[in-house]
Amino acid sequence: MSEELMTQEFEEISEGTEDASTVERCLTFESGELVLYISTKYVIEIINNHTITPLPLMPPYIKGIINLRGQVLPVVDIKQRMGKEPANYSCGRDSCIIVLDIDSVSLGIIVDSVRQVIDIDLKNVRPIPLKRQQKLLDGMVTMEDGSVFMSIDCQALSVPQ
Amino acid sequence: MDNGMEGMLDTYLFETNSLLDRLDEMLVADEKLGDFSLDDVNEIFRIMHTIKGSSAMMEFGSLAEIAHHIEDLFFYIRDKGIDSLDPQHKKELFNLMFRSEDFLRGQVEKVESGEALDTDLDSFSADINNFLKKISGAAAEEPAAEASAPNASAPAASGNLPDDKTAACFIHVFMEEGIGMENLRAYMIINAVRECGLDFRYYPEHLESDSEAAAAIIEDGFFMAFESEETANKATDVLRTQNYIRSYELASVPEAEPEPAPAAPSEVKPAPAPAPAPSKPAGKPAPPAKPAPNAPVKQNLISVNLNRLDSLQNIVGEIVITESMVTSSPELNQLSRDAYDNFMKSARQLRKLTDDLQDISMSLRMVPISGVFQKMTRIVRDMKQKLNKDVRLTLIGEDTEIDKTIVDSIQDPIMHMVRNAMDHGIEDDVQERLAEGKSAQGEIILSATHTSSEVVITIADDGKGMNPEKLLAKAREKGLLTKPESEYSKKEALGLVMLPGFSTNQAVTEFSGRGVGMDVVKKNVEAVGGVVALSSEEGKGTTFTMKIPLTMAIVDGMRVTVGGSIFTIPIANIRQSFKITPDKIIRDESGSEMLELMDSFYPVVRLHQFFGIETEVLNLEDGIVLWVETSDRSFCLFVDELVGEQQVVVKPFPAFLNYFELKNFGITGCTILGDGNISIILDIQGLHAAALENA
Repeated sequence: MSEELMTQEFEEISEGTEDASTVERCLTFESGELVLYISTKYVIEIINNHTITPLPLMPPYIKGIINLRGQVLPVVDIKQRMGKEPANYSCGRDSCIIVLDIDSVSLGIIVDSVRQVIDIDLKNVRPIPLKRQQKLLDGMVTMEDGSVFMSIDCQALSVPQ
Repeated sequence: MDNGMEGMLDTYLFETNSLLDRLDEMLVADEKLGDFSLDDVNEIFRIMHTIKGSSAMMEFGSLAEIAHHIEDLFFYIRDKGIDSLDPQHKKELFNLMFRSEDFLRGQVEKVESGEALDTDLDSFSADINNFLKKISGAAAEEPAAEASAPNASAPAASGNLPDDKTAACFIHVFMEEGIGMENLRAYMIINAVRECGLDFRYYPEHLESDSEAAAAIIEDGFFMAFESEETANKATDVLRTQNYIRSYELASVPEAEPEPAPAAPSEVKPAPAPAPAPSKPAGKPAPPAKPAPNAPVKQNLISVNLNRLDSLQNIVGEIVITESMVTSSPELNQLSRDAYDNFMKSARQLRKLTDDLQDISMSLRMVPISGVFQKMTRIVRDMKQKLNKDVRLTLIGEDTEIDKTIVDSIQDPIMHMVRNAMDHGIEDDVQERLAEGKSAQGEIILSATHTSSEVVITIADDGKGMNPEKLLAKAREKGLLTKPESEYSKKEALGLVMLPGFSTNQAVTEFSGRGVGMDVVKKNVEAVGGVVALSSEEGKGTTFTMKIPLTMAIVDGMRVTVGGSIFTIPIANIRQSFKITPDKIIRDESGSEMLELMDSFYPVVRLHQFFGIETEVLNLEDGIVLWVETSDRSFCLFVDELVGEQQVVVKPFPAFLNYFELKNFGITGCTILGDGNISIILDIQGLHAAALENA
């Protein structure tokens, strides 16, 4: 039953994106038990072991700010942004931060670990068939080995709430 | 193509605005002296010429037309010499010029905002032309009548020279036939001759602006009048190189011509010579030698986009920080002693250079305050006439330099205060002043001085001053009092004028009295980190004092720690820091803490509590208390430890965080410390509002 539903949606999407090249290079990374990906066009770099300066009176998912070669960047814990327990890091040690530039809004996101860059055919990306409050993920794709990767909604990420 | 046009428009606006600024400056300065200097007449002519040309090119008809009329007017004045105008005319000329300036500015503003330009210029251009007629009629009446005679009535005979009593020699030039625009071509020839440094007059007098002259020139050619044959001979050399000349002839004035009677000293004396002043007829006082009347320091070098200066500032800030990161790197300890010494030697050199670089990049942003002050002279001038008060504005320290961004934001506050001083400060009735034993002319003193980190701007008037009781009564009427009237000190009562919605003027005037004045002033000044204070003595006058930091980009800060965080508090806000014992603390019914300092009670804000930071320093005796204050708010901050004093480069927070409006929590920005860590800069004003007012 659910398979039927998905095929339907799949067809709809594929119709819309037929002509353009639908393959996009994406960076995959882990956050909790999820494997997420984000288009490399948003990714500036990946940094480790940066000291995060906490900002008082901020929502918990905003971990603070970092100094990246003179540029001050906010750092978001996407786990907390998704309403989960905070990432397990001790203020900078072992943290892995992906620096993003989403339509000239710069920010860093804390992830557990970074995997690799892969090509994802956007035709294969399907919407998540669930209604959720914290909508940070906006699509899912099944890989050849059967694992499922989720796509981060960059627009949602770049607007604080 | 569009872009090219945009760029041109930018250039046009910039250029025209600076020309108008320059014009304003000259007019105000000249009006003080009651006279135009020769240089200024030339300059105004040149300005109008430029505006006319560029406006015509940009197809801004109204600007071009009015500029053209003024150019005509000043051409006449330049030609006749400003001294040919009597004082009454000069006064009218000043008013006309100020009106024209305002008109041109109005048009430029319309261009800037993309509105349609005025098309109905007839009445205004008629005003200018009428004035021109008036002065040309009055000044040149007699000679014009005579001079026009040879041109008009007896044109054919070349022996009929124009009436020029001082000329020794004439050149009569005939233009080629059928060339068109004879008058303009003649004017170009005249200019060419003049450019060779020769001094002469020409007839018909207004050949370039008077289209009728064209006909006369076709008919009869034109004359150039020289004071000596020698110059006339030189001129013929030039004429030989010019086009469109059919022929010219040299004619000397017969010696027999009687000297003009020196009976009419006010008669026109056409001597537009920048060269050695020709002898003036006796009876006319020689114009006083004009030492540029305390000419304001106006820099007209190059214009740079402020954003570029900002990025320069940022990069220099980075260099300074990186430099100290490199020189304090722990790896250096592994160097051998000699190598380390060498390294330190180079490092010191680098430090010196980076310091210089920082100073220079800072100074690039500094501009003299004279631009703002000049605008005030104009405002005082206008209000003087409208309000019919005799007031002089004294400017002190115009060349004081201040950060460009700050200059822009204090212009309105200063303008408000000057207007208030004019409108409310200075007495309406001269008798009141005389009764107080003051001179009939009121005075407003606008001054700017430097301290090491601040600019102090004062606006002082010697008017009637403020009456604290009246202010209190007014505040009561408006419901602005927050405590019993009797408890207000004089200073507090005066401070009432800075509350929103307070205006003592019963009637709203054109200039002030809308009740948005002083609180806006205060807000604007506080926005750039400054404070406003006010003192007033009834009957003696009122003084406003603004203290403004030299720059917003660099702050002298005290670093303090709270838990693991480092905060920077502007030194300017810190009054004292001290250790206390818990028994000094007084608590109110809800447990809020207060301290008694100098006979007053001040609330205590524990920074770790307010910001929710975990720290081990919980006992008051373990940490340290900072007594901080901004313009009118004072309280105590409890922090863990003082780390030290440092100049820091203020960085705004990333755009992502704007959503949270950190300013409302008393956080203005951050700075990167020498070790690469980030310190958060506190805003004492905002902190007070967040922690105490809305608590």
